[in-house]
Amino acid sequence: MTTLSTDVLVIGGGATGAGVAWDAALRGFDVVLVDRGDLAEGTSGRFHGLVHSGGRYAVKDPKAAEECIAENRILRRIAADCIEDIGGFFVTTPWDDPAYADRFKDGCQATGVDCEEIDPALSLREEPRLNPDISRVFRVPDANIDVWKTVWAMAHGAQDRGARVLPYHAAVAFRRDGDRVTGARVRGARTGEEIDVEARVTVNASGAWAGRVADLAGIEGVRVLPGRGIMIAMNHRLVNTCVNRCQMPTDGDILVPIRTVCVIGTTDEHTGDPDDHTVRESEVDAMLDDGEKLVPGFRQARALRVWTGVRPLFEDAKASDTSTRDVTRAHALLDHDQRDGVTGFVTITGGKLTTFRLMAEETMNAVCRQLGEHRPCTTQTEPLPGSEQREHYRLGERLERKEEHLSGAQLICECEMVTRGKLEDAIRRRATTNLDDIRRLLRLGMGPCQGGFCIYRATGVLHGLDGLSAEQADAALQHFLQERWKGIWPILYGDQLRQARLDDWIFQGVLGVAHTPSSDGDRSAA
Amino acid sequence: MLHYDAVVIGAGTAGLVAGARLAEGGARVCVVAKGVGSTHLAPGTIDVLGYAPDRVASPAAALPEFMTARADHPYALLGPDAVAESLGWLKARVEAGPLPGYRYAGELDRNLLLPSAIGALRPSALVPETMAGGDAALPGRVAVVGSRSLRDFHASLCAGNLRRAGIEARGLEIDIDVERADENALGLARRFDDAGWRAAFAARLAIKLQADERVGLPAMLGARDPHGAWSDLEQRLGRRVFEIPTLPPSVPGMRLFEILRSALRRAGGRLVIGAEVVDVERSGQAIAAVSTRAGGHDVRYAAPWFVLAAGGFASGAIELDSHWVTHERVLGLPLRGLPAPGEPRFVAEYLAEQPMARVGVAVDGELRAEGAENVMVVGAALPGAVPWSEASGEGIALASGSRAAELVLARAGGTPAGAAA
Repeated sequence: MTTLSTDVLVIGGGATGAGVAWDAALRGFDVVLVDRGDLAEGTSGRFHGLVHSGGRYAVKDPKAAEECIAENRILRRIAADCIEDIGGFFVTTPWDDPAYADRFKDGCQATGVDCEEIDPALSLREEPRLNPDISRVFRVPDANIDVWKTVWAMAHGAQDRGARVLPYHAAVAFRRDGDRVTGARVRGARTGEEIDVEARVTVNASGAWAGRVADLAGIEGVRVLPGRGIMIAMNHRLVNTCVNRCQMPTDGDILVPIRTVCVIGTTDEHTGDPDDHTVRESEVDAMLDDGEKLVPGFRQARALRVWTGVRPLFEDAKASDTSTRDVTRAHALLDHDQRDGVTGFVTITGGKLTTFRLMAEETMNAVCRQLGEHRPCTTQTEPLPGSEQREHYRLGERLERKEEHLSGAQLICECEMVTRGKLEDAIRRRATTNLDDIRRLLRLGMGPCQGGFCIYRATGVLHGLDGLSAEQADAALQHFLQERWKGIWPILYGDQLRQARLDDWIFQGVLGVAHTPSSDGDRSAA
Repeated sequence: MLHYDAVVIGAGTAGLVAGARLAEGGARVCVVAKGVGSTHLAPGTIDVLGYAPDRVASPAAALPEFMTARADHPYALLGPDAVAESLGWLKARVEAGPLPGYRYAGELDRNLLLPSAIGALRPSALVPETMAGGDAALPGRVAVVGSRSLRDFHASLCAGNLRRAGIEARGLEIDIDVERADENALGLARRFDDAGWRAAFAARLAIKLQADERVGLPAMLGARDPHGAWSDLEQRLGRRVFEIPTLPPSVPGMRLFEILRSALRRAGGRLVIGAEVVDVERSGQAIAAVSTRAGGHDVRYAAPWFVLAAGGFASGAIELDSHWVTHERVLGLPLRGLPAPGEPRFVAEYLAEQPMARVGVAVDGELRAEGAENVMVVGAALPGAVPWSEASGEGIALASGSRAAELVLARAGGTPAGAAA
């Protein structure tokens, strides 16, 4: 068994975990970051992409609103390249309580969320597809974020400072030395090989899975209730500004334009299993109906893909104070030294993507306390790799670059403008045979055809590099097709069903993927 | 208002076959279509029955039992003779067609097994002669030749899977200079029409080949004169050369379209593409006329007979809307094969059979649409088949297009009815 020795072992490679690794590396600690799957494959990669202005919480949860606006401003600085400055509207539709708008305005003022009421006619000029019956509109500084880009930027930044980043490595057992956690044993999902990681402090940043990881460490009572929500990506940007319903937060009240699509979300339902990704027809219907309220004609647009994310809603079974026993959307930092008398172990869970950096900062402060070291946090000011220029992402950047060399670069994915060079780079850099890893990295196959044309090409490129066998290439292709099907069959209607049928013809008809030698149970008959 | 003996809606294989055969039978025919159909997407092979669900070695032998076992399948309505007859008709039209020397090879007795672009072996009954050399039953090693310039074909992956299937194969790449880095097979096919360019290509390829290797190339050996391009390459390389179908646009499919269009026109039929049916005039249980819209201009077509060849979900002729209601959008005809309310429309495993897969326009035993006594339904609009997984799409299109023409001609008393313009 390989052994590694480090200062900080981070379990969970979502935004929080990667944020902790980045924060720790900036403070000069040696770090090992592990995730049972790919980075940002869990909750972080399964949200709508919105960096909240704080407006959503201005009435209901003022502290959360304050945190959001503060972090929103910081993220715009440090993760500029991952962020698009779309701005946001809170709109009062005919279905919303008209009295809420004034409470919203007051709440924003009280919490410091920038908010300007504008004439609905002006908002309709900016967003002509918005429901013309909206009565009040407030402009807020919403933004969107490419979470995969952000997480990998932090991971690479940490790696540059010596960190070891191990996706597809699940913690299988903890090292304990009496009342001290001294690291964990992790197992590579692809190799089956185990690595013994000895760490001065272990951070449990596994979000909705934090209770399970804490159990594994022998810590009781960390209860995380997974709150399941569905999101649907529509095939283009029906709006270019994030549109929020001006009402108490509820289902289906946010429409976020991000990259080439826009995403409507979400629902909220407690589920026993954070790996439960069921999508019900009633939920899809509810989302489409909510979309109609914001953008009439929403149902005529193509729904590209549906996914579910699980929010980690924390409930501390050990807390004596009844107020903290409430399930909370706020993040929860558990210093197990104080809570359980177990040193070398910290759990961070709950929270929301917008505040991941703050969560990481607080976590590393707790780690420093446990280690008795004073090393200040610098993530508020240090730009992520790639964001040094402090220029925001703009829609059309990829097209602009492509047009400069129209004939020079072969496009593999036309929908998302992924060139062959980029694809080959990504395959080499990630050393992966999983096209879904590449999808998250490059947005390959995320456009309207959902990989209909690019995935055969990408499979060919993957096979051509690094001596992958045809069998492995077939498996990669079939894995991708199955994963994409999971996200499309519950929302197949209209033109997207047409697209799916064209893809059936390509993959099953022209290419015969069901009958490559590995998958073929073919026996000749007749 | 334009008057015809029959109006065919849809210009895929089924519609063009129905139109050509009606015209050949003496009917005044117009084929109207929103766009070109399946031909430009499909490999250009005539797949009759490839999987039932095990791989079918001989469609001729398998069809009778298949028809008995699947009474709801289009083949059960058509019968084995219609399939054989229509294949013969197609072969003859290819020979008489606009592409000099171009032929289709193969018989209903035996499926050829041809490599796909990923190296899976696809069973097809009738294939362009330019593809027949890829048959797995033929002896000899295979050199699969690709080019980095063509992103839609990956030779070493194809060869790798052929090896796994027991065929000695290797992949090799040859440089092709392209003007655009995202050139597709059609762009390259135009170069293969050029004899000088072809000679230079053959010379560069010849030195890379080993004795007793046959050569598989992506399906791009000529758009205007594929027979000339292919036989010239065979001659220059001194060995079998064959095409391997790849991603759309399909060059061999476009050739098939040209052949069928030419058959239609030569028989006096008319083809109007870019004309979507936007309105239907009913007269009791019959369709009296349809209106099409092209360039903001509406044209009405009246006829005693209509052939619906507009396809299924892939073409948009059948639609599942966002309220989960399924419609036939062209003529508003009733459908068959829908999952019962509350039953799943799709299942989570991609390659499993999807409950929605067999939906089509409800017809009687003679292809007549329920609720419209003068409408014949052909091709992918028919219910009961899963053509992409059965490898049966073109067989159904050919046989149903032919049969519909025959039935219309017979009912019109052998002579065109309503011939007044």
